Amino acid sequence: MEELLDKIAHCVEVGKINLKTPFPPAMKGQPGAEELTLQALKEGIAPAEILTQGLIKGMEKIGVKFKNNQVFVPQVLMSAKAMGTAIKHLKPYFSDGSVAMKGQFIIGTVEGDLHDIGKNLVAMMVEGNGYEVIDLGVDVNTEKFLEAIKQHPDAYVGMSALLTTTMTNMEQINSAIKAAYPGVVTFIGGAPVTAEFAQKIGADYYTDGPQELVEILNRISA
Amino acid sequence: MTHKERVLRALNHEETDRPPFQATFTPEFADRLRREFHLPEQRTEPHHRTWYGYDLEILTGQDALQAGGGWVTNYYLKPENYTDEWGVEWKIDPYETPFGTGHYTNIARNPLRDDDDLAMAYKAPDPLRPELYRHVERLVREYGQEYYIIGRVHGTLFETAWALRGLDTFMTDFYINPDLVCHLLDETGNYHRRMCLEMVKRGVDMIWLGDDMGAQQSLLIDPDLWREFFKPRMAAIIADIKKANPAVKVAYHTDGCNYDIIPDLIEIGLDVLNPVQTECMDPAVLEDKYGDRLCFFGGIAVQSTLPYGTPDEIRREIDWLKGTLGRGGGWLSAPTHHVQLDTPMENFFTMLDALGIEDKRPR
Repeated sequence: MEELLDKIAHCVEVGKINLKTPFPPAMKGQPGAEELTLQALKEGIAPAEILTQGLIKGMEKIGVKFKNNQVFVPQVLMSAKAMGTAIKHLKPYFSDGSVAMKGQFIIGTVEGDLHDIGKNLVAMMVEGNGYEVIDLGVDVNTEKFLEAIKQHPDAYVGMSALLTTTMTNMEQINSAIKAAYPGVVTFIGGAPVTAEFAQKIGADYYTDGPQELVEILNRISA
Repeated sequence: MTHKERVLRALNHEETDRPPFQATFTPEFADRLRREFHLPEQRTEPHHRTWYGYDLEILTGQDALQAGGGWVTNYYLKPENYTDEWGVEWKIDPYETPFGTGHYTNIARNPLRDDDDLAMAYKAPDPLRPELYRHVERLVREYGQEYYIIGRVHGTLFETAWALRGLDTFMTDFYINPDLVCHLLDETGNYHRRMCLEMVKRGVDMIWLGDDMGAQQSLLIDPDLWREFFKPRMAAIIADIKKANPAVKVAYHTDGCNYDIIPDLIEIGLDVLNPVQTECMDPAVLEDKYGDRLCFFGGIAVQSTLPYGTPDEIRREIDWLKGTLGRGGGWLSAPTHHVQLDTPMENFFTMLDALGIEDKRPR
């Protein structure tokens, strides 16, 4: 069992989606995260086990490598694709309670800004680490954030921006969130964003990469 | 010394009376500048895709004037939502700053995102339409004696290809659909290569290529992927430009942290690196390692100092850049992107003053 879960983790880490994808070349013609997940289910391994000991393990490894600049965005996207394809087969078990998620995370690129590669990376990494992600997309205004929090009052909230002219919108959105839902924990990130800026606008955390954010989430949600 | 001589000398690694200067402005920052200079209102865009004159460039002491072409000039194309001739759909996004409301044009839909067959059959528009070059001809004719003329062809390969396909999809295409990546890079690359050659034929002094390959702390993609897919295509474009006119300099714009590919860029004949974001790369390291073989264009930080710095901090930054990127010439000073609407006017004119450029605002 352990060996199969390790194989699943490896497939996610290297971005091996399924049998028919040619990447990585060294694994051409071999089963990927999808087939191995199906095999694990067939062998009676608990879905929660497959998720935490297989898929999430793989995402954790790629997350650490990305943090250490050992891999680049395209490889992380491949890992996320492998994870996303495999996790579809576990989704039926999420709703019946046999797989518990670690928490919920609302994320969006703030109003006026359409840059989403960083936001998507964070969303994938958070999801890949066992959280339910509510991705509001790009150009997200205060009302949309508040509406999402109303529906998911226990969720953590992440805001992203690439531009100096749009990161200022974080201040307004963060204040509105804190006024309406003082208990909600907020995260901000993006190229021009700094820890000082987070402190100035009253956001709880600034991180400069998805892995740091996941580590904080794991710590505060434990 | 003419403006043109100042740039030529600097790019020849010679000291000049002051660093040569170039800048572009977001439309609303240009509006503010026009008011500062008591100029009549005029709709402008930072790429100069058509002729609308160079009064702001001249009044702000710029030594190099640019005319743009290629897919990237579809940014800021219209005040309402539009689809460009490549099929990319755009929307208008307003944003607020202390100095008023600005508008970005942002990509709303990538036409080839979900359709591999459509992507494989994609053909770029015709790059040889004479009307695409009227402004270049006029710029060279009217200002080419006194000013250094730049033909700007950004989005040369990567950005146009991913605008068509979607950035996240295109990034996994490298592994899953390499043939599709090659097709889109060849279509976009050939269009822009032809455009560069047409501009060289019309007498520009520099071709300014561009594709953002850097993220904040590393390249966006694995350097090996860059070497496989981009390096040979860029090498061919640079070689063609140099063959057409060996005196033309080639600059390359890539935002972010690009340490990993600088030696490769030098190897394929690049003359000038832009924009040198100092939040991402250390100008002292760049000058020490590559300053003898590469010139630098940019350096003045629009992501930090220009909008947020105090006038003192701006002066210190310019001095720092003069002593690093500009040591012994080799620096065409410029903000690292279009000057943004969140920039205080005092900061902008402090930058000019620190560079040794006279404030020509009417008193």
